[in-house]
Amino acid sequence: MSVVLEVSNLHKSFGGIVAVNGVSFEVNDGEILGIIGPNGSGKSTLFNCVLGQLLPNSGEVRIDGRRTTGMRPCDLNRLGVSRTFQLLQVFPQLSVRDNLILAGQEHQGSMFSRLIGSADAGLGRVTDRMVEFFRLSHLADEPAGALSYGQQKLLDVAMAFMAGPRLVLLDEPAGGVNLTMLGQLRERLQAYHAERKATFVVIEHQMEFVMALCTRVLVLAEGRIIAEGAPNDIRRNPVVIEAYLGH
Amino acid sequence: MSRVSAAAIVAAAAFAIAVPFFLKPFGIFLISMWAVLTIAAMGLNLTLGYAGQVSLAQGAFVGVGAYSVALLTQAGYPFALAFVAAGGLCFAVGWILGYPALRVQHHYLAFVTLAFTTLVFLVLRNEQWLTNGIYGINDIPRPSFFGWSTRGPQSFYFFSFGTLVVLSAGTWWMLRSPWGRAFVALRENPIRALSLGLDTRRYTLMAFAIGSMLGGLSGALYAPLVQFIEPGSFALGMSFNLLLMVIVGGSGYFFGPFVGALVAVLLPEWLRITQGYYLIVYAGLVMVMMAFCPSGILGLIGRVAKAVSRAGRAARAVSAEGIGP
Repeated sequence: MSVVLEVSNLHKSFGGIVAVNGVSFEVNDGEILGIIGPNGSGKSTLFNCVLGQLLPNSGEVRIDGRRTTGMRPCDLNRLGVSRTFQLLQVFPQLSVRDNLILAGQEHQGSMFSRLIGSADAGLGRVTDRMVEFFRLSHLADEPAGALSYGQQKLLDVAMAFMAGPRLVLLDEPAGGVNLTMLGQLRERLQAYHAERKATFVVIEHQMEFVMALCTRVLVLAEGRIIAEGAPNDIRRNPVVIEAYLGH
Repeated sequence: MSRVSAAAIVAAAAFAIAVPFFLKPFGIFLISMWAVLTIAAMGLNLTLGYAGQVSLAQGAFVGVGAYSVALLTQAGYPFALAFVAAGGLCFAVGWILGYPALRVQHHYLAFVTLAFTTLVFLVLRNEQWLTNGIYGINDIPRPSFFGWSTRGPQSFYFFSFGTLVVLSAGTWWMLRSPWGRAFVALRENPIRALSLGLDTRRYTLMAFAIGSMLGGLSGALYAPLVQFIEPGSFALGMSFNLLLMVIVGGSGYFFGPFVGALVAVLLPEWLRITQGYYLIVYAGLVMVMMAFCPSGILGLIGRVAKAVSRAGRAARAVSAEGIGP
């Protein structure tokens, strides 16, 4: 089994606060890795360092064996790495369809060919399939801002999949989503995973969601990995319980 | 595009073609000024309205374009060459001016561009060997093409209007292409755009460069239209006026600058009957407009149209209920 993402000895601090303190892990091809941990344990900072939004103080990130530390997010995205953010990040004034085309268009041709080519960058059919897959067809021409929170969350995830990525990092996909929508979201993620053999890394607080979705879980506390294992073992791990309930 | 707005565009175009036949030379001068300034406002609408980058430098680019054409045509170069050179120069300078926008946003960026406008004004005023300083440049010739002279007011209007049509067709094409979507993404959420593979740096510079190029091309027509240019015309006042056109017309609406430029060119003339008070009335109107409809005239029309169609639907629903059992 090949390693898709390899993080070694990553450090990131903001002034005196050490957010990520020597984190190392690997993600294998086709895995769904969950990352859990209390608020402020450095999960999102870790994501931002992996994805080029932040520059780590030290350490290294490799994707498919290639060193990507310090690469810009847009270049990483074109390598097949995509993400969602903790807070909802769709483009409210663009239609659902335009949001999706936008998420895939930069992978089509060159800057110049996109200017002279078709308005949908040749993504019309891919977009149709994607809105169908995420059950947003009836809303395809609505502005994204008019959708309910849960629907926007689905769109947000759909956008991360538009370019057919091989590695997707999802930052709290279940946050603020109601139970019905949550089931739908999980089911869609699992379906996509089965269909495309993509690799996911998921930050999540909602334990049920993590247990149902992930194949392996990392636990982060105060910038370090304190436990790692199968979802059910993690739930019973005393160190993890201490980290969540302690202090 | 709805059938109503398509019909409105056709009617407006027909009006723009017919109207010079019914106007005196000064009236034709005014609508020519509208066509010329609409090009610059369209450029600013691209930079500000679509890509969300505040710029108070558009007037300076009109100045750079105007001086380029004035100097080159007086030196004997053909107008077509001077026109392309003005656009190319402003594209390059606009690209460079875009670099600060990669670091600062909003009112900080406004100050950077404001400083640029002042810089251009000072160069135009002080570098007398090149620009003739405060005396300006006189007798700028109007071009002729294959024996068709644009010297008369009507023919120069049609030349300006034709250029406006061609440039807006090009801009429309660009905005409906993936680039247009990328510009809006830049305005709405640059961080998310970056994570979706958009090279936001390149798109920001491009938005500045193309917007500035349109400013320069507008200036390239402005010089032969007024036939006399001096540095004062391209000071901050012009930049503010262009900004006003974009905001009053409807920032981020394709036809916003067309409407805004019409208001900004015609209203002061109509308000002349109020004599000394016209600036006060004009300023008052703008303030009321901004307070009650920040999305501009086209935004207002859109709101009214939506309300009308909702009222229509409600009325139909009521009558349908009346027919039912």
